[in-house]
Amino acid sequence: MFTEILKGFVTTGKVAFQPAETIQYPEQRKPVSARFKGRHELKRYDNGLEKCIGCALCAAACPADAIFVEASENTDAQRFSPGERFASTYEINLLRCIFCGFCEDACPTEAIVLESNYELAYTDRHDAIITKDKLLVAPAAGQPTTPMRVEPGTFDRPVPDMKNPD
Amino acid sequence: MADQVTLTIDGVSVSVPKGTLIVDAAKRIDNDIPVFCYHPKLKPVGMCRMCLVEVGRVMKDRATGQVVLDDAGQPKVGFGPKLETACTTPVEPGMVVVGASQKVTDARDDILEFLLTSHPLDCPVCDKGGECPLQNLTLRHGPGKSRFVYDEKQKNDKHVPLGGPDDALIFLDRERCIQCARCTRFCDEIADDHVLGFYQRGRKIEIATFSEPGFDSKFSGNTTDICPVGALTTADFRFGARPWELTTSASICNHCPVGCNTTFSTRREAKSGGKQVIKRVLPRQNEQVNEVWICDKGRFGYHFIESPARLTAPLVRKDGKLVEATWDEALTRVAETFKAAGSALVGLAGGRLSNEDLFAFKQAVSGVGGKALLDAPLAGGDLTTVVGVSAGVNSGAGTDLGQIGKGTAILVVASDLEEEAPLWWLRVKAAAERGATLIVANARPTKTDRYAKHVVRYDVGNAVSTLAGMLLEGSSDYATAFAQAENALVFYGREGLDFAGTQALAQACANLLIETKHVGRAQNGLIGVWTTANAQGAAELGLTTTPASPAVLAAARAAWFVGTDPLGDGRLTRKDLPPFTVVQELFLTDTAKAADVVLPAAAWAEREGTYTSGERRVQRFYPAVPAPGATRPDCQIAAEIGKAMGATRFGGFPAQVFLEIARTVPAFAGLNYAAVSKVAPQWPDVGGRDQYYGGASTTNLQGLGVQLPSAAERGTVPQAARAEAPALAHPVGTLLVLPIAKLYDRGATFAPSTLVHPRVPAPFVAINPADAARIGLADGDEAELALDADTVLVVAKVTADAPEGVLLLPVGLGVATPEGPAPARVAKSARVAA
Amino acid sequence: MDQGKHILFRHRDIANLRDLDVYLAHGGFEAFKKAVTTLTPQQVIDEVKNAGLRGRGGAGFPTGLKWSFLTKDSFPRYVVINSDESEPGTFKDREILTHNPFQFLEGAMITAYASQANTIYNYVRGEYWDVVAGLERCVAQLYERGFLGEKLFGTEFKLDFFHHRGAGAYICGEESALLESIEGKLGQPRLKPPFPADKGLYAKPTVVNNTETVTNVPFIIQHGAAAYRQNGTEKSPGTKLFCLSGHIQKPGNVELPLGTTLRELIYTHGGGIRGGKGFKAVMLSGASSVVLKVDDALLDTPLDYESVAAKGAMLGSASVIVLDETVDLSWVILKTTRFFKHESCGKCTPCREGTFWMLSILERINQGGAAKADVDLLQNVASQIQNKCLCPLGEFSVTPVLASLKTFRGDFDARTTDGAPKAAPKSAPKKAAVEAGD
Repeated sequence: MFTEILKGFVTTGKVAFQPAETIQYPEQRKPVSARFKGRHELKRYDNGLEKCIGCALCAAACPADAIFVEASENTDAQRFSPGERFASTYEINLLRCIFCGFCEDACPTEAIVLESNYELAYTDRHDAIITKDKLLVAPAAGQPTTPMRVEPGTFDRPVPDMKNPD
Repeated sequence: MADQVTLTIDGVSVSVPKGTLIVDAAKRIDNDIPVFCYHPKLKPVGMCRMCLVEVGRVMKDRATGQVVLDDAGQPKVGFGPKLETACTTPVEPGMVVVGASQKVTDARDDILEFLLTSHPLDCPVCDKGGECPLQNLTLRHGPGKSRFVYDEKQKNDKHVPLGGPDDALIFLDRERCIQCARCTRFCDEIADDHVLGFYQRGRKIEIATFSEPGFDSKFSGNTTDICPVGALTTADFRFGARPWELTTSASICNHCPVGCNTTFSTRREAKSGGKQVIKRVLPRQNEQVNEVWICDKGRFGYHFIESPARLTAPLVRKDGKLVEATWDEALTRVAETFKAAGSALVGLAGGRLSNEDLFAFKQAVSGVGGKALLDAPLAGGDLTTVVGVSAGVNSGAGTDLGQIGKGTAILVVASDLEEEAPLWWLRVKAAAERGATLIVANARPTKTDRYAKHVVRYDVGNAVSTLAGMLLEGSSDYATAFAQAENALVFYGREGLDFAGTQALAQACANLLIETKHVGRAQNGLIGVWTTANAQGAAELGLTTTPASPAVLAAARAAWFVGTDPLGDGRLTRKDLPPFTVVQELFLTDTAKAADVVLPAAAWAEREGTYTSGERRVQRFYPAVPAPGATRPDCQIAAEIGKAMGATRFGGFPAQVFLEIARTVPAFAGLNYAAVSKVAPQWPDVGGRDQYYGGASTTNLQGLGVQLPSAAERGTVPQAARAEAPALAHPVGTLLVLPIAKLYDRGATFAPSTLVHPRVPAPFVAINPADAARIGLADGDEAELALDADTVLVVAKVTADAPEGVLLLPVGLGVATPEGPAPARVAKSARVAA
Repeated sequence: MDQGKHILFRHRDIANLRDLDVYLAHGGFEAFKKAVTTLTPQQVIDEVKNAGLRGRGGAGFPTGLKWSFLTKDSFPRYVVINSDESEPGTFKDREILTHNPFQFLEGAMITAYASQANTIYNYVRGEYWDVVAGLERCVAQLYERGFLGEKLFGTEFKLDFFHHRGAGAYICGEESALLESIEGKLGQPRLKPPFPADKGLYAKPTVVNNTETVTNVPFIIQHGAAAYRQNGTEKSPGTKLFCLSGHIQKPGNVELPLGTTLRELIYTHGGGIRGGKGFKAVMLSGASSVVLKVDDALLDTPLDYESVAAKGAMLGSASVIVLDETVDLSWVILKTTRFFKHESCGKCTPCREGTFWMLSILERINQGGAAKADVDLLQNVASQIQNKCLCPLGEFSVTPVLASLKTFRGDFDARTTDGAPKAAPKSAPKKAAVEAGD
């Protein structure tokens, strides 16, 4: 009988001094994998223009109907994205989203990307609908933000760089 | 049965009339041969080469002409070495068509690969994405990978406004164009507006417009429906929404009496604060009314529905000012006053109201002894209920302009069809091209003259005597042609006539039809070119047409204006109004501003109901968007007023009212919403699995409408009656103003469509070169036009289209116009430009 | 031909033949008079049928038979002469129109009589504006002298002649596109059926013949079918104008009986290959030809429609382009494809897109930036175009491509980066199109 109790104490003692797996969140954060599907972000090009061209293919691909897109026309005086079209309204309802990443796959310009932010708690259901201003990343250092004024004829094509898939 | 030809397509036998093309024969057995340049409404050209199939014909011995038989005794079928285009090859007996072979599959893949070589990678930004035949056919028949080097693609202009940069209704993207020529052929063959054509050749070939302003056609929007790619898109719907995000609702256009079947595409969007809004209007296929087309007014003229100026709450006059009130308060006040007025109540309704609205209105007004009138400038509605076109209850087939050709005479008198009812113009033109004898009678040239066998020119105001003259035997070759035709239709308008004149003209036309025995059967009868969508309905429901005038309201103690604005039109002034005036309207019109109670009505797109087209077809429309604020459908308001007065005993819901109409109005006997919503397969098949074969025109699943039998058809024997109009005084050397209709005007239901404003002309007067020279006016000069009541400033347009001594003055452009022809003086404006 | 024996190039035997009086002095318009005053239209047709005259514009269709296809009881009729000589390597009609115009005009007029047409249109390519000026002067003279106009030779026959200049489109040499051009419309070919003999110009029966073809007619009517058949072979009777160009010592036109061998044409009449170089390849019908590799068997082939067809090529308009041993076929094909791409009317998809695509590939090959796979791609694209086009232009654009790839594949492979042992691009690559693309 004593031996069993002693064995138990020995086990406890051994484990007590092993390094713990627990991390002190939120002061320490565990890094996520490269493919982690967290909160969405709308990306920009290096020159500050938004990648999103308002095509709504993400909304079409979404199995949960979580994305709402409205498109508008770019002008050279007020340019948001390259080409003729940009998304004037872009909303994602995180309550519907299942974080499958189909929107990311569907996007022709790699604009919508699921990033690593998983801290998505909200206290009001309305806060779950994130709008474009919250989705859009900030422009790179030194780059203008959108809308920007550009030289006519410089960004006429919606997809400026084309890599041959082969 | 006409000659039938039997052939085999992919192993399936099909019998079709002689002359059918292979593509159409295949469509009948649900075999969709892919096409781009072919359209069932256009002549085939065999340009795109997408419909290549293997065609085998029965072999005949060269020498003897006998059919060669094989061992089994069956006719031998020989296949040519080359594939043939199915869209240009008519069927032959015993023909064997193969679309399901490797050779044809490869050919389709090849053609699509060719089309995609320089087609831009625009799908994400192209409006056609989701309803694009090129996308669909590529997925079905095309290559998955491109072998063409991206940098070598031919680049071309994108987003080209066909028109000026600020007035284009249609945008052209030259890179997306696959040069199928559907747009140029539509403009040449169907609309007869030669405003679009090809420019350059080879790979550089592109579409260009040759008119000033660009793409100057009232049917330009139809090219965006039939364009198989996103090359032609409307400015109205640019980046509006993706097709799969839209909800569709069936409706009927309410701008003119043709009653084109349309579809509203709506979406609930954030831009509009979460409201459901209309994104675009498309045609709906109804081969008996508008086929697959609509005019640009119907396509672009819906914005008034969502105008922020819409009335949203009842208004009641308190202390001299109109203030918002509740419905109860407003309706109680109205009902009490109307009931007290009794026979001194005058109700004037506009022709834009639906059958249900007009019926409820009439019941309420006449229920207390008042007069329920239709405020419209064209008389003769009562005659069209007797000798109007027939539904063919005895022959099975009703009146359908698309079926007439040789053997039918069409008389168009005192009307400019292209400006007043564009789709009738289109169909009458097509009928004339099929051999119908078109007689156009007017005081001035109109576009309809081009297709007329006989053009009858009379002096202004002599329409009635000209018609009466047609009854004299041997008086003219056109009279003889009309009398001897197997079938005859008469379209009559109001050009050159005042109201009494239109009554006389309608009677004269009716007399002509009666005397020449063209009444009581299908494809025969009288059609009024009304100024509104449902004047025919008003006539069928028994409302008398009486234009608003001081005389009409002289003895009234209460007036009820529903959907009409006589003060705004200049026909009444405030002092003509009776002590109590109620206006039921969409907007705060001039009449409403002078009213005691203003009731906000729901627009036709916000509720259901039916319209009766000028061809006497009852067609149903459905709600597309929710009614704003506290608005209610007109029939509901009228029924509630009637109920409160004890005059009406039925509820205000449109379906209920319609059943009541069917119960009490003989022409509508046996009808209900189900009957009016019936559909049947239509030919050509522009819907089905291969929806984009015919264009984006949406399939009609909501109703083809029902044509009402005329009284003559139901047994009434029509009687001729006297038709006399006083001669118009036009002394030599004086000028007579002739009011004419223009499709694009500044009316309340069209003005909010700002995108069309550049195409709405500034007020002008058309003057003959001889008169202009005498007065000293040059083309483009600002002129002062002095009419009886006032002087207006207009632009002078010098053209030989204006007869000598006659000034053509378009109605509805914002300057006062007389009711009928009136003497006038014109001189160059004394104003010096700043 | 021997001096004095020319039928078409009689101006090489008789000086100043373009002077009307000289022409008349040498039997001019005797044939026309004979036809109008003593023969019926059917008799004229029969005579031409018996002579076996075949279309000289390229198709080689029996002329008399073509005339007999005109829809009966349908009037008025038209005769349209196709002088839109635009095939690269063809310049025979120009010489006729410049130096022997009256024989041509007489031939056209007899054609009109046979077809019971009262109007002739001569569609001449726009680049020949000076030739047309001369022809119009000739026509004016004919009106003056009573050979054109009303009541010719005292009969009821009346005839009018008009010239119509093209505007620089090869496609308008295709008969239906030519008719569209005369009607003032876009020069694009029509669907056939209906054929011009049934519904041609202004939807009326029309005969469309080449310049050289009708220039044969006066001789046939004057001297008879049997005399005409003295030259040529049984199935291809008569003489033909051969246009020699390329690496030939004596370029130019020469009239020879059909059936003359290639050897005789090149070496006896053409003076052989320039600079004495080797004779590598020949194109017998201009840019639309099957490019033939020259060997003894080919040199001994008689040049008539049947014998050339037996070799897998077409005699066509006999526009003989001579290519010597220094020629790189990939360069030649670049030229022909560039021509067809430029001249394509754009109506049908395979030709419009296909010629553009073939040109892109050929430019890459010629600039040295292509791989062998690109040559295979070119073969594939050309086969894809074949048998799908609306009119012969598209079909003929691939003929030289496919023929050269079959017979001279080495020339193409030599230009690729991975094709031949000593592959060295002749010029620095302007675009490395396939690999990079950024």
